[in-house]
Amino acid sequence: MATEEVPRIGVFVCHCGHNIAGTVDVERVAEIAAHYPNVEFATHFMFMCSDSGQQLIRDKIEEFSLNRVVVASCSPRMHEPTFRRVVEEADVNRYCFEQVNLREHVSWCHMREPEAATEKAIDLIRMSVARAALLVPLEVKTVSVEPHTLVVGGGVAGLRAAIDIDSRGFKVTLVEREPELGGNLAKLSTLYQGNEKASDVIERMVLAARISENLTIMTDSEVVDVEGYIGNFDVTVKNNATDKTEKLRVGAIIVATGFQSWVPEGIPPYGMSLDVITLAQLEEMKRDDKLLCPSTGKPPKKVMFIGCVGSRQPGVQGHEHCSRYCCTAMVKAAADITEITDEVLILYDDIRTFGKGHEEVHRSAHEKFVMFSKFDRTKPAKTTVADGALSVKWRDILAGDNLEFHPDLLVLVTAMIPPEGVEKVSQLFSLTRSADGFFNEEHIKLAPLTTHTAGVMIAGAAQSAKDSTDSTTQASGAAAKAASLMARGEVEIESTVAHVLEELCSSCHTCATACPYGAISFDTSKKPEIAVVTEAECHGCGTCAAGCPSSAIIMRHSTDEQITAMVEAFLMPPPVMGGGDS
Amino acid sequence: MSGKRFEPSIVAFTCNWCSYGGADLAGISRIQYPPNSKVIRLMCSGRVDPLMTLEAFKNGADGVIISGCHIGDCHYSTGNYRTEVRFMALRSAMDVIGLNPERLRLLWASASEGQQWADTMREMAEQVRELGPSPLKGGSKK
Repeated sequence: MATEEVPRIGVFVCHCGHNIAGTVDVERVAEIAAHYPNVEFATHFMFMCSDSGQQLIRDKIEEFSLNRVVVASCSPRMHEPTFRRVVEEADVNRYCFEQVNLREHVSWCHMREPEAATEKAIDLIRMSVARAALLVPLEVKTVSVEPHTLVVGGGVAGLRAAIDIDSRGFKVTLVEREPELGGNLAKLSTLYQGNEKASDVIERMVLAARISENLTIMTDSEVVDVEGYIGNFDVTVKNNATDKTEKLRVGAIIVATGFQSWVPEGIPPYGMSLDVITLAQLEEMKRDDKLLCPSTGKPPKKVMFIGCVGSRQPGVQGHEHCSRYCCTAMVKAAADITEITDEVLILYDDIRTFGKGHEEVHRSAHEKFVMFSKFDRTKPAKTTVADGALSVKWRDILAGDNLEFHPDLLVLVTAMIPPEGVEKVSQLFSLTRSADGFFNEEHIKLAPLTTHTAGVMIAGAAQSAKDSTDSTTQASGAAAKAASLMARGEVEIESTVAHVLEELCSSCHTCATACPYGAISFDTSKKPEIAVVTEAECHGCGTCAAGCPSSAIIMRHSTDEQITAMVEAFLMPPPVMGGGDS
Repeated sequence: MSGKRFEPSIVAFTCNWCSYGGADLAGISRIQYPPNSKVIRLMCSGRVDPLMTLEAFKNGADGVIISGCHIGDCHYSTGNYRTEVRFMALRSAMDVIGLNPERLRLLWASASEGQQWADTMREMAEQVRELGPSPLKGGSKK
């Protein structure tokens, strides 16, 4: 595609402190980049994303009348929005910005080969400079935002988010697949730190939700289909009790689908005796005031807890993460039952009661004479059952003694894992998942509540294992995100859509069958008819352009020419201008 | 250049959502792999026109990787179905023109599969090194 203006490219190479510069010779990279075609200016700097780095870009744009900017730094998934804003502040269109990933794709994965890494960095920048020369400014488009948010999941996080949105005066719909609200929290007895009954907390929230003017609750219901884009999602919700479906138009979505407590089926000591249970099962007994040994129906005299079951065990039972609720929940449950039992013993790997007020809970367990013993994580405790009686043997690594205990009830404090159906939720909302299976945030620090799907937020244990305190905090944050989107009323969307060149279209319909969104129709007033893209429905994947046999489709910001220019720059490097003086 | 090991040039067409995230994760996790492949970021693996792949070989690529979301996980629902069909067609075409189809690889990698990304980059570099330079730029029998 022809550009009206002659490209004047600036290349800005970032050290990222030691992250890039520790491996890549950034000085040499910038020096070589300065000689590439159309490059008017190239430099390197400690942190391009810092205030001074951003100012440097703006200053050089002005000084050298740059109209294309290449920043070679971290992943565009992290800082593309930042630098797009920076160039816009200096009157360069955001689509005339191109980012090279020298950190995630070079320095961090080729740490032991600095020379090869530097060569790769040079190649990648050459490729991006070639593409930058062909970039064209695009108009920035906005769409309206439907003032209605969908909250998926009616646990403590979903409830908190929904109530918060309602309190700001926006319409909100809360969808819960179970018949009752409350999620996992409703199964607990009492909560740390204040020893409040979990049911009281949930009841207060449910009551607040029920009297809310703008809040619609849909229980027994699941989201079965999601279409559309930020500001304008079309969601189909199915009521599993009545089999009826309902369609909603929402502007934002908060996914708060929570967790499930891991049950170590088939992994001893679970299953060796009915009296081996999980903390989640113990909590339900405590809630119902029925703390009884399942085998005998009698109250247990001696109770033993084992911590970190399935947590912090990469490769062994599959869960590498610390579940972040269990240390405190375990010491609290142990302290709670000292009054109705004779002996309570906690077998732990590590104990870290990290939260506000959690150490006090830990101390109270000690004060109530709960026994603590640290086991060797490389030699787990051995459990045996004889005549229905449990015996647990282990080595206490602080005392160096081999110990034995005969609990009436053995409680495994197990990991939080993603709930059943998480794959389906991930597909519905196009969410990616981390290695432990929870949904990925857009960026752990810079954008912890939003996801890579614009308009979809995450909150609570859906994002990672955490307790209800942290879940509700996150839920309030996600609610604020949704509310700010709705309050603005409109949002910018990508202009990177497909466009049909009328004179080249041969009316073969290949593009229309390739389009996942049905965004291509035909203008039958023309003979032969020609393909037309409905831009609001185009998501910009480009599969139509790849399929078009006549090259009649231009993918804005991802044109054939822009892509092949990168291929050519990689494989057939242009002669270096002014070479030899470096 | 004599005595130096052959370092294949590999183009990696990578979708923005899953695979680019997977490549990022490999870096974030400091998983080390050979630097032969250069990523070209596209929105969807479905954007890869078979002609672009052939163009890459014509320009001297020793190998090409097309990487996208797993089937069923595509950010664009069904964009990668097309990728798979086009990939199969491309491999047949390569066979016909005498270019070893092993020089083209399809990788489904999610944003959480940094290890798979790194493993494939390593395997591909080793495999293409074994095959030698692309016959389209001369000097190889395969």
